[in-house]
Amino acid sequence: MTTILLILIVLLAVYTLSSKDLLHGVIALSAISLLSAILFYILQAPDVAITEAAVGAGVSTVIFVWAIRHSQRKDDNHG
Amino acid sequence: MGKRKAWSPTLQACLAIGAMGVVLLPVFLSQTPWPTVARDYLMQYGQDESGARNLVSAIYLGYRAFDTLGETIVLLVAVIGTMGLLSRVESLVNTVGDDDNTIQTVSAFSLRGDKRSSHVLRTHLLEVVTGKIGPIVLLFGFYVMLYGHLSPGGGFQGGVIIASGIVFLALGNQQDNTSALSKSSILGGIESVSFLLFIIVAMSGIFFGKGFFGNPLADSAYPVGFIVLLNSIIGLKVGASIGFMCIAMMGGHD
Amino acid sequence: MVERALLLCLLLIGFWGVVAKKNIIKKIFGLNILNAAAVMLFILEGNRIGSEAPILESGLAQVVDPIPQALMLTAIVIGVCVTALALALAVHLYQITGSFDIETIRERIQDET
Repeated sequence: MTTILLILIVLLAVYTLSSKDLLHGVIALSAISLLSAILFYILQAPDVAITEAAVGAGVSTVIFVWAIRHSQRKDDNHG
Repeated sequence: MGKRKAWSPTLQACLAIGAMGVVLLPVFLSQTPWPTVARDYLMQYGQDESGARNLVSAIYLGYRAFDTLGETIVLLVAVIGTMGLLSRVESLVNTVGDDDNTIQTVSAFSLRGDKRSSHVLRTHLLEVVTGKIGPIVLLFGFYVMLYGHLSPGGGFQGGVIIASGIVFLALGNQQDNTSALSKSSILGGIESVSFLLFIIVAMSGIFFGKGFFGNPLADSAYPVGFIVLLNSIIGLKVGASIGFMCIAMMGGHD
Repeated sequence: MVERALLLCLLLIGFWGVVAKKNIIKKIFGLNILNAAAVMLFILEGNRIGSEAPILESGLAQVVDPIPQALMLTAIVIGVCVTALALALAVHLYQITGSFDIETIRERIQDET
């Protein structure tokens, strides 16, 4: 189970860094936080799971969306 | 001194990543067993010495409380830095002309009613739903914060959930009916007072002969009261500072 | 063993994001991924010596190591503080120069000074 979650996290990380739209990258980063919260729960670490879920899916996504909304949404040169 | 042709960026990046991989490889290949001394000691004596059944709470509020102090200071510095930069960003945004597309969408979502140019993005549905869910999320945050010594939870976890609840309350403000918890003066006051209380509680151990961050209630019947008090103070501080930062980013400070 | 190899891949992906991407927001994505990989490594290692969550109840088998979990709580909160400050700096740079690309930012700041 941990192996499957780690493979999914690695694939999402590659997608985050190579997406043309920055908002898609932010959503993928939030999905990485969610999957790692599930991983921490499976690894018998409930405190870390609550913190990662609240911080990653809540606060971190909000500030990324704020930063992108105050500026541009597309990544111009890289794919 | 001849001119050297610079290597291509791809080659430079590959070399850097390869070097990093070689440096990190012994960490991932090591076969030494993880030491079990700390876990055995904590399983045996952790509950008696600090009174908490949650061993992680006993560690970061009892045995290693200095790390918690350092973390609250890092949070304070980050919020101060972000606020300082945000005030400059605000002034730059206001000086750009009206034909900029991004500025119109920003002000269409702004928390302050007078800055909102249109109601396209702040629909009635959003305001009603988040305004009603906000107190429930706050209640859940307080529960997670206060039960940190018996179940997974604690100061930081409850604090971040309280910050989300504060953001919900700020989003749910109707036109003329604003919640008191979304005002920046009150949130700033809560944060400063709780940081002061944290320092005072930390120093109270000195007056009872237990040292800095020592548990002054260690000899009484309920040594866990110290951990509950510290959890509440940290939860309020973290919640107020992160909530303040998020509300200021959405344009709601006055 | 496989999990450690995957975590090494994740660390190198995060490092690649910080080093090789030209967009500042992508660099900040890379910082977040590095942070997540480091936290996952510690929790994975601490899990090896036990089988129960570190909350004491009666009649319990060996619990996992609670010390890495306490340290990683601090690490996660500090990671989000660094991200917030880095994003505030990136937005400020965008307002001054009008672009997120580091080459364009370098040229425009050199033109101004």
